[in-house]
Amino acid sequence: MVILDVKDIRKSFGQTEVLKGISLSLGKGQVLSLIGSSGSGKTTLLRCLNFLETPDAGSIAVNGEVLFDAADPATQREADIRRKRLHFGLVFQSFNLFPQYTALQNVTLAGRLLAKQEPDFSSRKKQIYRDIDDRARHLLEQMGLADRMGNYPHQLSGGQQQRVAIARALALQPDILCFDEPTSALDPELTQEVLRVIRGLAEKQTTMIIVTHEIAFARDVSTQVAFMDGGVVVEQGPPEQVIGAPVQERTRRFLESYTSS
Amino acid sequence: MELILQQMPVVLKALNVGFLQTLKLFFVTGLGAIPLGLVIAFGSMSRFKPLSWLTRLVVWVVRGTPLMIQLLIIFYFPGMVLGKNIWGSGEAGRFTASAIAFIFNYACYFSEIYRGGIQSIPAGQQEAGLVLGMTKSQIFFRVTLLQVIKRIVPPMSNEVITLVKDTALARIIALQEIIWAGQAFLKGSHGISGAIWPLFFTAVYYLVFNGIVTVALGRLEKRLDYFR
Amino acid sequence: MKKIISLTLAALMLLSMSVFALADEAESDMAYVQDKGTLVVGITEFDPMDYKDEDGEWIGFDADMAKAFAESLGVDVEFVEIEWDNKVLELDAKTIDVVWNGMTLNDEVLEAMECSNAYCNNAQTVILPADVAGDYETAEDMADLLFAVEAGSAGEDEVEALGYATTPVQTQADALLEVSAGTSDAAVIDLLMAAAMVGEGTGYEDLVNTVNLNSEEYGVGFRKGSDLAQALNDFFLASYEDGTMEEIAETYGVQASLIDQTELAEEAADASAADAEAADAEAAE
Repeated sequence: MVILDVKDIRKSFGQTEVLKGISLSLGKGQVLSLIGSSGSGKTTLLRCLNFLETPDAGSIAVNGEVLFDAADPATQREADIRRKRLHFGLVFQSFNLFPQYTALQNVTLAGRLLAKQEPDFSSRKKQIYRDIDDRARHLLEQMGLADRMGNYPHQLSGGQQQRVAIARALALQPDILCFDEPTSALDPELTQEVLRVIRGLAEKQTTMIIVTHEIAFARDVSTQVAFMDGGVVVEQGPPEQVIGAPVQERTRRFLESYTSS
Repeated sequence: MELILQQMPVVLKALNVGFLQTLKLFFVTGLGAIPLGLVIAFGSMSRFKPLSWLTRLVVWVVRGTPLMIQLLIIFYFPGMVLGKNIWGSGEAGRFTASAIAFIFNYACYFSEIYRGGIQSIPAGQQEAGLVLGMTKSQIFFRVTLLQVIKRIVPPMSNEVITLVKDTALARIIALQEIIWAGQAFLKGSHGISGAIWPLFFTAVYYLVFNGIVTVALGRLEKRLDYFR
Repeated sequence: MKKIISLTLAALMLLSMSVFALADEAESDMAYVQDKGTLVVGITEFDPMDYKDEDGEWIGFDADMAKAFAESLGVDVEFVEIEWDNKVLELDAKTIDVVWNGMTLNDEVLEAMECSNAYCNNAQTVILPADVAGDYETAEDMADLLFAVEAGSAGEDEVEALGYATTPVQTQADALLEVSAGTSDAAVIDLLMAAAMVGEGTGYEDLVNTVNLNSEEYGVGFRKGSDLAQALNDFFLASYEDGTMEEIAETYGVQASLIDQTELAEEAADASAADAEAADAEAAE
């Protein structure tokens, strides 16, 4: 069952066309890894999916609902974008935790704010907040952070911070969880603990799009791999094909440069 | 020395009256300039270019000219143009004019500190809030604001301590703050004339008050130490 | 966009022009004061002309005369302490209506304000430390001294006319402080003030007043062109002739310095008669 359908996304910054018509589709429970060198447009594509950038052309549909269509202004109303964003979660390269909140508060903040819009909020406030907190604790336990919930971000290691960020994104139960180079800012040993968490999510059939430079990891966890270069998807398919036996010359060269370095 | 002790009760009474005026100006300026500075900061960061240019021009003019001149212009200019005194007579009018000049002047300084503070918050904080479905105002009040406050407390402390001392400038339009009160004993007042020590003694008031302000702001800085 | 900017500018110019036009509308200053019902008197604390009694009420020769004048106009009186340097600004900005504070009538004052007749004699007098005062008998002996003077005061003019070195300070009181602290050798201040501020029983017991450099007169200043100056001259004459001026002066010990208002009025009458005669003569020719 197709959960995400992206058609012909184009995006330019000034004179530079960063995305030159990207089309993707993703089934529920699948894991798509986007690989490619810096500047190939991977991150911009993720940012378009999360409405941090507005594509110049193309459309994005989730579960059959067209969330964005460059040709249809009705899909671009500022007021609706906030709700549409919630189909996606995003984990940043630099974590972007809120420094003044504890790990637990980071995970519950958005949920508590969203809960205020519920019609029965005022009558069930305590119950709603307790549910949100329970769920957040449960997520942090899953991330192996049971004893870190009361810590502030600066008291946590990079790997721990990134795991809090993952819990924060999961707390809103997005349809698709996106990772933007989640381990690039981490030391090798911290990288492993974050990759372990992501692998665990993949095993639980979480739908994910992962922008990564960890080729071996991508091969391991992905159901799909897409190689991007110069704003287009050069090659896409199962990992054993794209990484194991690439058809395209550009893909081969990229992978060679990676394994040799 | 004996003479000073004799004069002390009268002098302290007069200095207290003057210091009350100093304190009033200080607090009114703070209460007015702290929020107004935020409005000006948003104006100067506005994406509507004419508004941002105009705001920055005003800030440049206000920061680029002495507060003393601004006091003189604000107090005297309206009467010359309109042919009547808009400030109300007596000391109350002088206080109103002083307060407006001080609030506006300090709001402009504060706005630049705010702007620097707001712009120093990484864009990632805003983006993290956005992808979590938060509104812009939720992001400002729940995420950015406290981080901005933490960053601006040290530069704001400097400005606030300067403000305590700057209140003395209001005497140029004859606001009878503490230095005026101290100087009155030089010219002759309350039956004491030619006494210089009350003027010097005003320094003690400033020192004590600035000590209190410094401790209070230091406490605030420390309370925000729990995060980085 | 350009159009909006130019329209805004034009509107602003029109607005400011109409504001200035309003201001130009000449109105009798007396009518203005009577209309608002208060005569706002700009003063500085200056014993014995304007100072506060124990209840905080303004008294003194000038203050009492100002109260009486306001009463004669049928308005209330309000005293406002001003920064002396800003007195003309205060008048022009209408934050005060009159400067009535032992003001020496010099060229600058006469130029910038509409002044009343002189009502009190004064002099600029040299203040010296008591222990050296004996060494200086005349102004000529003082050529080597450094004089502290109030900036813009009559005293400053006198010392500069002699060609001696000056240190301008903010107030006459500051000038005394300079001498007391030894940062200047001498000070020049008003004789009337000196009487109250130096010598036995004052804050400056170790200072004395010595040589008078000139003699001068006090007057009252109104806004340029104000009809209140003439009204005050009439009031001075009336209160001099019925003795109230003398009476108030005695209260504050300045009766010896009073100027004969009848004489002044006669002189003025003679002068205008002479003018009239001259005009008649001219017409006859």
